[in-house]
Amino acid sequence: MSSNYYYNPNSSHSQSVSASPARPSSANMPSTSTRGALLFAKSKVYVHPTSSAKDNIPGFIALVRPPGGADKDILLAWVPESQMRSDEVSAYTKVDLNMDDGLHATLEVLVPMPSLTLTSSYAFAVPLHRIYSIMLRPPSLGWWWGSVIIHTRSEDVIPALFFHDAESQSTIMQQKIRNRKFTPQDGDLFWGGDQFMKYLRKYTIVERSTFEQRLYLINPDPDDLLSFSPPHARVETVDNESLSKIIKDARWNVLERLARVTRFSRRAAHEVIGNSPPVVRAMLNVPEVRQLGDDFDSARVYLAKWAMSISEEAERNKTKIVWTDVVGDHIGSMGGDILSVDDRVERRNEVSRDEWKAFFDASGRLRVTVSEVKERVFHGGLSRDIRSEAWLFLLGVYPWDSSQLERQSIMAAKRDEYFRLKRQWWDDIDRHQIDTVWKDQRNRIEKDVHRTDRNIPLFAGEDTPHPDPDSPFANIGTNVHLEQLKDMLITYNEYNKSLGYVQGMSDLLSPIYAVVQDDAVAFWAFVGFMNRMQRNFLRDQSGMHRQLLALDNLVQLMEPQLYTHLEKADSTNFFFMFRMLLVWFKREFKWVDVLRLWEVLWTDYLSSQFVIFVGLAILDKHKEVIIEHLEHFDEVLKYMNELSKTIDLEDTLTRAEVLFYRFQRTVDAIDRKNKEPSNSASFPTAPLTPHPSMNGQTGLGLPDKTLPLKPEAGKVIISDVLRELLSKEIIVVNDTIPMEGYES
Amino acid sequence: MASSRNYDILIKLLLIGDSGVGKSCLLLRFSEDSFTPSFITTIGIDFKIRTIDLDGKRIKMQIWDTAGQERFRTITTAYYRGAMGILLVYDVTDEKSFNNIRNWFSNVEQHASEGVNKLLIGNKCDWEEKRAVSTEQGKVLANELGIPFIEASAKANINVEEAFVSLARQIKQRVDLASEPQQTNNIDISSGQKSAGGGKCC
Repeated sequence: MSSNYYYNPNSSHSQSVSASPARPSSANMPSTSTRGALLFAKSKVYVHPTSSAKDNIPGFIALVRPPGGADKDILLAWVPESQMRSDEVSAYTKVDLNMDDGLHATLEVLVPMPSLTLTSSYAFAVPLHRIYSIMLRPPSLGWWWGSVIIHTRSEDVIPALFFHDAESQSTIMQQKIRNRKFTPQDGDLFWGGDQFMKYLRKYTIVERSTFEQRLYLINPDPDDLLSFSPPHARVETVDNESLSKIIKDARWNVLERLARVTRFSRRAAHEVIGNSPPVVRAMLNVPEVRQLGDDFDSARVYLAKWAMSISEEAERNKTKIVWTDVVGDHIGSMGGDILSVDDRVERRNEVSRDEWKAFFDASGRLRVTVSEVKERVFHGGLSRDIRSEAWLFLLGVYPWDSSQLERQSIMAAKRDEYFRLKRQWWDDIDRHQIDTVWKDQRNRIEKDVHRTDRNIPLFAGEDTPHPDPDSPFANIGTNVHLEQLKDMLITYNEYNKSLGYVQGMSDLLSPIYAVVQDDAVAFWAFVGFMNRMQRNFLRDQSGMHRQLLALDNLVQLMEPQLYTHLEKADSTNFFFMFRMLLVWFKREFKWVDVLRLWEVLWTDYLSSQFVIFVGLAILDKHKEVIIEHLEHFDEVLKYMNELSKTIDLEDTLTRAEVLFYRFQRTVDAIDRKNKEPSNSASFPTAPLTPHPSMNGQTGLGLPDKTLPLKPEAGKVIISDVLRELLSKEIIVVNDTIPMEGYES
Repeated sequence: MASSRNYDILIKLLLIGDSGVGKSCLLLRFSEDSFTPSFITTIGIDFKIRTIDLDGKRIKMQIWDTAGQERFRTITTAYYRGAMGILLVYDVTDEKSFNNIRNWFSNVEQHASEGVNKLLIGNKCDWEEKRAVSTEQGKVLANELGIPFIEASAKANINVEEAFVSLARQIKQRVDLASEPQQTNNIDISSGQKSAGGGKCC
């Protein structure tokens, strides 16, 4: 680390930090003799070390000139309030409030130089000449706080700074002044970052990149300017020659990164597109650059239609283009902007063992409401040492209103029942010999168990000789846990005869068994899980189809731009989400995150189908990349498949929750609108009109592709499949066709 | 549109067959030359890419992998139509998977494009002590179905390259013929069979 760059490396963004945000610092206050001139300060600028708002750290962003320092030596600093003495706070506040619109610092205030000796905060100070670029994100839909991200020339990680404008006196003041002067239509929303940039410009050259409008280069050299801010206003107009020059000259090894992206090597797409300097993303958009990465497969797969042909039906319903306008008019005419409501969603810390125990009284009965418990689990998840108990409630093995004694007797009975079920097939020697269907199912289960989560230590071993010398795995060896999984699945195959074992179920069982580590208990917990999951495994795939349809409708409603693009890319069958929905993102998240995700989903706190919103959240997160770079179904599929194990769970859950609320408000708004007398006079309220059936084509009896909203002469009605998403009731669909014959 | 491609021909292949016969392992061996015994079950669909040189042409192979279980066939059949070649895979240690090839074949006839090239693969041919389907049986079935046949092992890396490349070669021939209007559209299956090595393993 260079000597003139002050940054505290403790801010590793790791989850462990979340438990102990910035400590009060009285212990090691900097002993500062040097004082600098405070040129600019803005209060209530936060660091968000975790996704929980509780961990946010308020502070000041400031420009401080060292004694005798030139403009380039001015420090851009962030100082947490907790580490400032009261006289410092008042000095900073004074400067902050005195910043007038004319940029005249009316007073010179000396403050201690921000220093490196603060050890437990996210504080940093960096001289202006060390800053390479600054990315500004003004507050907008979905981002309630505007933020500033500073890139240094040495590419160190500096925490993003969030401007909590509503708390900052000076910003509020400035906003008031502006509002008096300007009409609301006049320019963008004013926020703290504007003021900051204004002052920054006093002391250094700031060039806005034409590639990426939110990127500002600080004191750029000519090469940087050429790379990021060519004289052409728009990237698309750059001719080939200067383009290749740009590519050659670009920093950050754009080409190398491009190559990685286009090969879709694991993580590369995620890392490069998601996290790298925005200019890389901008460059990916240039057609010539895209050609460089031609490894990227652009071949179109002529997808046959999914069951009832989602896309065919969409083609038929040309009116779909209309709906956004209709909804827009609809919502717009309501006066309020429902989408601009502040969705302050925060994830909380996990429910600890003690907290869980405190939910219950001495007899082991819940002393709080079920909804309170679910709310806690939904927003925080469970600590690992309480999962084996808590999951049994979430999975319906234990009734929520049971006492400890009742649960004991329930478990005793269930345990007996499991061993009775297991013994039934275990002792049935005839069956082992003759029943080929049964034997095939058993073999399939065995094959699948031997390739389920073998990277988890519990299932990794091959130390036990196989109990069946005729098994194909006889000479490989097994372990006791694999054998338990096998027995549980064979038992389930018996227990739910009409459904039977289907691939994917082993993925659903293994986390439950790993947490519970008791076969009888795990079996019933699994049965509870399968109660809601069996619709994913139906023979006609109608349950999966309905969920993909729900996702389709939801994307149409909530992400119209993305939907339009997916249509162009022949991807509105949403097949690329099939695996995610089938086994609840088991393949997409890391093992520990899967445990967390599932317990959150099991609460049904907002919706029994919150999993659809998790899918929507992932699409939402990646929509820009998808829209900009993925043109065909195979590309979309590959991209989504490759996201596996790179997705941030907490971010996804937060996003999913925001999207849910937004969806809920949209539905409310449309419903309210529909109830207005002017509307209902000419259009009586009615449920979604049944759509024409296409059963003849595939014989699967699946629901048709529908519009999320049916525009009927000015009236908009939410489709059934969308309304279903607001329900907390678990959807249970049994396979009524009994198992028959051999399945390959 | 075609100006920037780094390949001359794009070939789309599809792997089908019972679950656990080793479709994903064959694909992994061919595309990345690696093998892992405890592979995960394939859920839904995925594909891998490998580009090979064939008679001076760059052939980009996009190979689709599917879930084997019947239950998911409504999805997997959706992919038949785009495929130019289909690899029907069974496990030589699993008689059931061999007997089931007929079902898979009729599925192909039903859903795949006309003229699609096919190849029968008996996987796991290194596992002699467990063998339940002889090479001869494989040949007989292949003859009956009128498609080339090869035994292979993803684990021991036997004939994997040959299987995929021979199928690619047949498809290329078909495509080449189709693009020359003077010639007949007949596909020379016998030459494909020859190049597939007649099914000898190990």
